[in-house]
Amino acid sequence: MQAFERELLTLLPRLRRFARALARDSADADDLVQAALERALKARAQWAPGTRLDSWMMKIVRNCWIDEMRSRTRRARTFVPEEEGEAVGSEAHREIEIRAEMHAVERAMDSLTPDQREVIALVLVEGLAYREAADLLDIPIGTLTSRLTRGRQALAQMLEAA
Amino acid sequence: MIDDDVLMAYADGELDEIGRARVERAVAADPTLRARLEQQQRLRATLAAFYGPTAEEEVPERFRAMLDTNVVPFAPVRARPGRPLWQSFAALAATLVLGLALGRTLLSPAAGPVAVENGTMIAQGPLAASLDTQLASAQAPDAATRIGTSFAAADGRLCRTFDSAAMAGLACKGDQGWQLIMTAAGHAAPQSGYRQAGSANPLVAQAAQELMAGEPFDAAAELRARDSGWRHR
Repeated sequence: MQAFERELLTLLPRLRRFARALARDSADADDLVQAALERALKARAQWAPGTRLDSWMMKIVRNCWIDEMRSRTRRARTFVPEEEGEAVGSEAHREIEIRAEMHAVERAMDSLTPDQREVIALVLVEGLAYREAADLLDIPIGTLTSRLTRGRQALAQMLEAA
Repeated sequence: MIDDDVLMAYADGELDEIGRARVERAVAADPTLRARLEQQQRLRATLAAFYGPTAEEEVPERFRAMLDTNVVPFAPVRARPGRPLWQSFAALAATLVLGLALGRTLLSPAAGPVAVENGTMIAQGPLAASLDTQLASAQAPDAATRIGTSFAAADGRLCRTFDSAAMAGLACKGDQGWQLIMTAAGHAAPQSGYRQAGSANPLVAQAAQELMAGEPFDAAAELRARDSGWRHR
């Protein structure tokens, strides 16, 4: 195993935690980690040795998550009309099942917008500094803190009410 | 006046010393503010308690396997019509170089997996035992040496490919024992899940194809060959 792979291996526990905070359940989270690893191994030449591999990897996990959500939205929109009623029915049913099994924290995280969820995952779950999180997401620090404030308010409301 | 943004920055450890002191003074004087800060801290603690254990879990084996670069990924052996392996200078040179390297490292102590007898390389010790007795169809997943394909060569000798951490190779049973026809550097993780059917080493797999007369042995043929002591056909 080379240095790149060794370092990735030591990052995996954190990457799984980050993915867990983004995705809806642990199976989705590990699928996300797998997709991110595949992408990272293909793109390893783009990582500059000496720079932080953890930020680079978290960015890849986050991008994979965005891609996955987009393709889900597309799939949901592309049902052919005859199947639509049935599909919507089973989707709704699955939705109910998923939510029934969710922990209060997962339900609260699930209620956030993707923008809020990723900043909460980076700052509150992964403990990144605001500057690091803003750089990773390529957003101004003011945007980061306002998403963080709104995400926090929503989470606190849901969790304190429960 | 301390607003929520400042309180949040305090809870996230984003304030400098002066900022922290200011918040602490304000919180001490204002129970409402203290309650808001405690809410922020509870939220952090709730998230940490829920997501933290994921980072403590054992990393799934499939991720380890993905990062194991010593494993040669599955690649079908391409037949190269009109250019047998043994005439391919590059392949032969590579084999010779590896053979020489083996000669230096493995052959000098008598206890290595290879002995030289009358100028040929003969498997000895655990490698010879694996070649003699181990069945590809029933080998322990953690076996130190793994047997790949068994087959009859055109000259009637029975041959087997093998893989271990130290080396991969192809050996044929002759009068002196298992003669090593070719060897290559092994890959360091013989126990990993990714495994090519014949041999993890494409060079070894190709050599086996070149030498093979007919089909590789199935489990029954392998068992018969072993029970007959790998005698010539």
